[in-house]
Amino acid sequence: MSFLIRQTLIYAVPLMIVALAGIFAERSGIINLALEGIMIFGAFIGVLFVRLVQQWGWFDAAMAAKNWPALQGFMVLAMAVAALFGALFSLLLAFAAINLKADQTIGGTALNLMAPALVLFFIRLIANQNTLQMYTGDSASWFMIKKTMLGYAKTDKLGFFAETFLNKVYLATYLCIIIYVILAVILYKTRFGLRLRSCGENPQAADSLGINVVKMRYAGVTISGALAGLGGFVYAMTTANCSANGDVAGFGFLALAVMIFGNWKPLNVAGAALLFGLFKCVAASYASLDLNGDGRFLLKEIGVNINFYRILPYLITLVVLAFTSKSSRAPKAEGIPYDKGSR
Amino acid sequence: MDNAPNYVIEMLHITKEFPGIKANDDVTLQLKKGEIHALLGENGAGKSTLMSVLFGLYQPEEGIIKKDGVEVQINDPNDATALHIGMVHQHFKLIDVFTVLDNIILGAEDTKMGFLQKKAARKKVQELSERYGLKVDLDAKIEDITVGMQQRVEILKMLYRDNEVLIFDEPTAVLTPQEIEELMEIMRGLTREGKSILFISHKLNEIMEVSDRVTVLRKGRYVGTVETASTTKEELSRMMVGRPVQLVVDKDEAHPGKPVLEVEHLHVPSKLYKRDAVSDVSFTVRAGEILCIAGIDGNGQTDLVYALTGLEKPSHGKITLEGHDITHASIRKHSEAGMSHIPEDRHKHGLILDFTLEQNMVLQRFEEKQFQNHGFIRFDETRKYAEKLIEQYDVRSGQGPITKCRSMSGGNQQKAIVAREIDRDLPLIVAVQPTRGLDVGAIEYIHGQLVKQRDEGKAVLLVSLELDEVMNLSDRILVMYEGQIVGEFNPKEVTVEELGLYMAGAKRQTAEPKKEAEA
Amino acid sequence: MKNFLHKEGTRSVLASLISILIGLVAGSILILVVGLTTKGLGLKSAWEGIQLVFFGLFSTGRNASGALTFGFNPSIVGNMLFRATPVILTGLSVAVAFKTGLFNIGAPGQYLAGTTVTLLIALSIPTGVGDLAAYQAAQGIVPAVTYPTWFVWTLAFLGGLLAGALWGAIPGLLKSLLNINEVIACIMTNWIAANLATWVFDVSNLKNVIENTKTSYIYKTTVNGVATSKMGLDQLFPGSQVNGSILIAIALAVVVYVILSKTTFGYQLKACGSNRYAARYAGIKDKRNIVLSMAIAGSLAGAAGSLYYLSGNTEFFWSTYQQLPAVGFNGIPVALLASNHPIGVIFAGMFMSMLDIAGLQLTNLTAYNEYITDVIIAVIVYLAAFSLVIRMWLSGSGKRRHRREEKIIPATQETNNSENIDRPAGDGKEAAEK
Repeated sequence: MSFLIRQTLIYAVPLMIVALAGIFAERSGIINLALEGIMIFGAFIGVLFVRLVQQWGWFDAAMAAKNWPALQGFMVLAMAVAALFGALFSLLLAFAAINLKADQTIGGTALNLMAPALVLFFIRLIANQNTLQMYTGDSASWFMIKKTMLGYAKTDKLGFFAETFLNKVYLATYLCIIIYVILAVILYKTRFGLRLRSCGENPQAADSLGINVVKMRYAGVTISGALAGLGGFVYAMTTANCSANGDVAGFGFLALAVMIFGNWKPLNVAGAALLFGLFKCVAASYASLDLNGDGRFLLKEIGVNINFYRILPYLITLVVLAFTSKSSRAPKAEGIPYDKGSR
Repeated sequence: MDNAPNYVIEMLHITKEFPGIKANDDVTLQLKKGEIHALLGENGAGKSTLMSVLFGLYQPEEGIIKKDGVEVQINDPNDATALHIGMVHQHFKLIDVFTVLDNIILGAEDTKMGFLQKKAARKKVQELSERYGLKVDLDAKIEDITVGMQQRVEILKMLYRDNEVLIFDEPTAVLTPQEIEELMEIMRGLTREGKSILFISHKLNEIMEVSDRVTVLRKGRYVGTVETASTTKEELSRMMVGRPVQLVVDKDEAHPGKPVLEVEHLHVPSKLYKRDAVSDVSFTVRAGEILCIAGIDGNGQTDLVYALTGLEKPSHGKITLEGHDITHASIRKHSEAGMSHIPEDRHKHGLILDFTLEQNMVLQRFEEKQFQNHGFIRFDETRKYAEKLIEQYDVRSGQGPITKCRSMSGGNQQKAIVAREIDRDLPLIVAVQPTRGLDVGAIEYIHGQLVKQRDEGKAVLLVSLELDEVMNLSDRILVMYEGQIVGEFNPKEVTVEELGLYMAGAKRQTAEPKKEAEA
Repeated sequence: MKNFLHKEGTRSVLASLISILIGLVAGSILILVVGLTTKGLGLKSAWEGIQLVFFGLFSTGRNASGALTFGFNPSIVGNMLFRATPVILTGLSVAVAFKTGLFNIGAPGQYLAGTTVTLLIALSIPTGVGDLAAYQAAQGIVPAVTYPTWFVWTLAFLGGLLAGALWGAIPGLLKSLLNINEVIACIMTNWIAANLATWVFDVSNLKNVIENTKTSYIYKTTVNGVATSKMGLDQLFPGSQVNGSILIAIALAVVVYVILSKTTFGYQLKACGSNRYAARYAGIKDKRNIVLSMAIAGSLAGAAGSLYYLSGNTEFFWSTYQQLPAVGFNGIPVALLASNHPIGVIFAGMFMSMLDIAGLQLTNLTAYNEYITDVIIAVIVYLAAFSLVIRMWLSGSGKRRHRREEKIIPATQETNNSENIDRPAGDGKEAAEK
């Protein structure tokens, strides 16, 4: 059970944060189809940063001294760098969509093609193979939080709660949840959030009240890019042993679906992301899933093919969309370039 | 010119030109402090343009604007807001999914470290709401409240920003009679508190009831300003529409024949509001006559036409064309039963702008034997047919049949549609504002064609906002007001002033206007 | 000359050529920057890389002194044609949908659907020839009836078409009946297809067990004796993989061209795509046309997968649940580059496969790699997003002259209306606009 919850969170958190990226862009009025691409880019930048810094003497010293806080801080820094570059990358979309009034779907598609191409080009140059890995070590050896890291012995029994939330977890997971909450609050409780949302609903009205629509939309896309970059790196860090290969297995698109599924509202989106995370987790580890701890792998015994569980999230999305399409409320002005002239 | 000091806003000798048309030509408007000043005029008289100039949406070519006697420059709405000028637009500028309170504070929020502080705002709005009798539910979402309440939100938005000059652009167009009554009361309350109001309208009853003075515009020109107390509806109507009829259409007496289109008790639900856009409308169009539906824009004409042509489904009633019940028939079936349709919006419905002229000429007919052979387009026939229409109806374009319609002038686009629809040679022609935005030559031409069709025994249903067109062209006139037929007239026995009174809702016939239909 | 510039077709071609040029230049700049900043590369290697980006198709390797050599190599050209086949078809798929105002990002899924059904048919119906028959005979399995290979080929191809059509029709139906955005529906059906394909082949007995270490692949269709005819192309381009499928692809492009521009059906599709409201006004059934358009688009993408694996010398990596076939996505740049013109798609597809070859040459002959060509493609798509801006810029002076000839129209109404129409028919925006 602990395993299931942990694994679900590991899949759900990147989905959640990237879906929030989608929310920020679309609530400002720009469709960000490029989430997948920005994730790929962010993952690459994050891994590259870790790899480069690891080659300094500092890292080995910290490892030798078991200076866990410093190492965790380093990972946080890498996340910030991934977010920064994700934001920079997304400016390409913002420029095309806002200044040139380009087709946002095609613009997003261009970024989705661009990211893996650039990333793989550089990975090949750097690593001479298609996967960029850390310079040294693996997740278990330094940035995954384990009970030994917290001062317990390997054999200590910690109880269900601590076992679930403190052992074999990642700081990034919790950091993302905190960021998620903060940004959701900003979206709903601040002047900036109110104005951003008004631009995605009725930019003409916002403009008539003296709100700078162009600035707000740039802000929406940039925040979106930062979150997607961050989400991409967290994905690479927690599910791929901190390596980048120009692919995030459609997580960016899945995040878009999660966003629509959650009706562009952070709370619903978080729920949807957890549901999807659960399915992903089941599909990834169904053969070894021991729900009640009796040593029997129930799902395996039922005998349903693993591919069925893999299909489920996508199928459920379609079914849910089919039922909710009438009541689903996309931001009204999304996808429409804002033209000051047409009041 | 020496100004009396009690004018809060003066717009002096304003001229605003758009390519080819003077929307405002030397217009002067002076607003006294604390008065309700009505701006009256027909569709296209230049009222909205004038107010847009005041609100900073347009820059005038000539003329000056003064606020409290001081000349000011208003370059955009922010300038207007800074001068405490506020406007309730005809189409509300509200965010549907926001609460009422959020809409009111948007753009003028109180914050602490970036976080919204709504307590003080809530208190201020509540005070304003009580002081002026503007009842709103601050926590309801805009999409859930009535249009009347939405309007009160717009008014509160202006008051929250301490605006002194309030512009109302056709505020009653979307309201129910009770809501209109309330609005009048609110407006009086606002002036008692020292606010000045500019009130754009073409409804005479309202203007008589609520305004202190009236400025009348006609065709972009200033007609005059009168004290409401010393004038009458009749005089205002004459100022608004009164003029010798400018275009005369040469036509003989009509000889109405058998009924072609019969409409019985038709109801069409409104898309925007929770009431019927068309309510219990019945009439008959006969062969060899032009029946005109007159009325001011937004009184249900568009919805009526959509229901007649199959673009929308009516909720009740029956439509019969040439003996066939077409109430719920597909659009294609409408065509086949004998209806051609010159649509109101030539860009949205009438033409595919990225298609060539010849492709557009066969928009409904491409599947007829003449134009296809086992599913393959007969390009030679299409071309021949297009050339015939171009020749016959004098449609001018850069490259003839292969011109992209987008590159044609509005007049020729409309001629192409008229040509296409008339040449289908069907018993009923529904023509909606067929001359909108066209020059005199094109108007005369299209009018001539419609009369010719009538003389050939077609039934013509004309929907028009232009009184000239109504008076000239029709053999019978129905006036539509708020979704209902409020009067039926013979154009020879009625004056434009009289029609104006019906169109503006000041009068209505009590007798059922469809007696003749049942005969 | 002036008239020539004003022709819409000319403008499109010109805009595409400019996009291509900018893309190639951007790729060259990237190579240059990397070359100058990376230890051990330098200007000379960058120059070689740039040469290959532009002329990779005609590269023949290096000579004894280590310099790049160029010339015409029929086997490379043949391979280019072979690789062009699937992208031409997915490009057609995307183009057909675009013509009806739909963005078919579902080509990868349709491609997989076509691939799956084609392989199932091509490998499961016994022909009695090929290695598979021999292998099964050795195990004592002898089919009761066998069918001629041409029959199985035809059945497999048609099956691929149909599977693609079905897979494309799903988002079409969801769009027309429930107004679900086709982009999101396509993305979901893509991943469902990827997982389904994995599932189907995982439980099938078509995994390559004859050859060692190949069980993650499905048999080549040649093991059952099924392969697309070479149609003499192997004589023209000796030593290459080319076969008749490129001719089939070109034929399909011509068929699509004829349907779109010569038939009443194509007229309806385009009418719905350009102005859905006017199409409805004219009595055209817009919902039906959306479904049909997506089904046709799907069948073309299905054909792409089908033909690629029926070639006989390609093997399908069946565990696709984690990655979608890139060739499906590459249909998007091909369609955009061709301005959705079916004949243009043929050339755009060949250009894409030329880039592909150039990428391989880069990998083989220099320190750079093939992903630079994907960067170029991405730049081209990015430019296509605002191709209208480019086209307007191209026709700048001409447009203005046109304007003056027009009779003057009151500004406000006219511009507002045309803007509303330019957008593809939106989700319930009809009501909002009023």
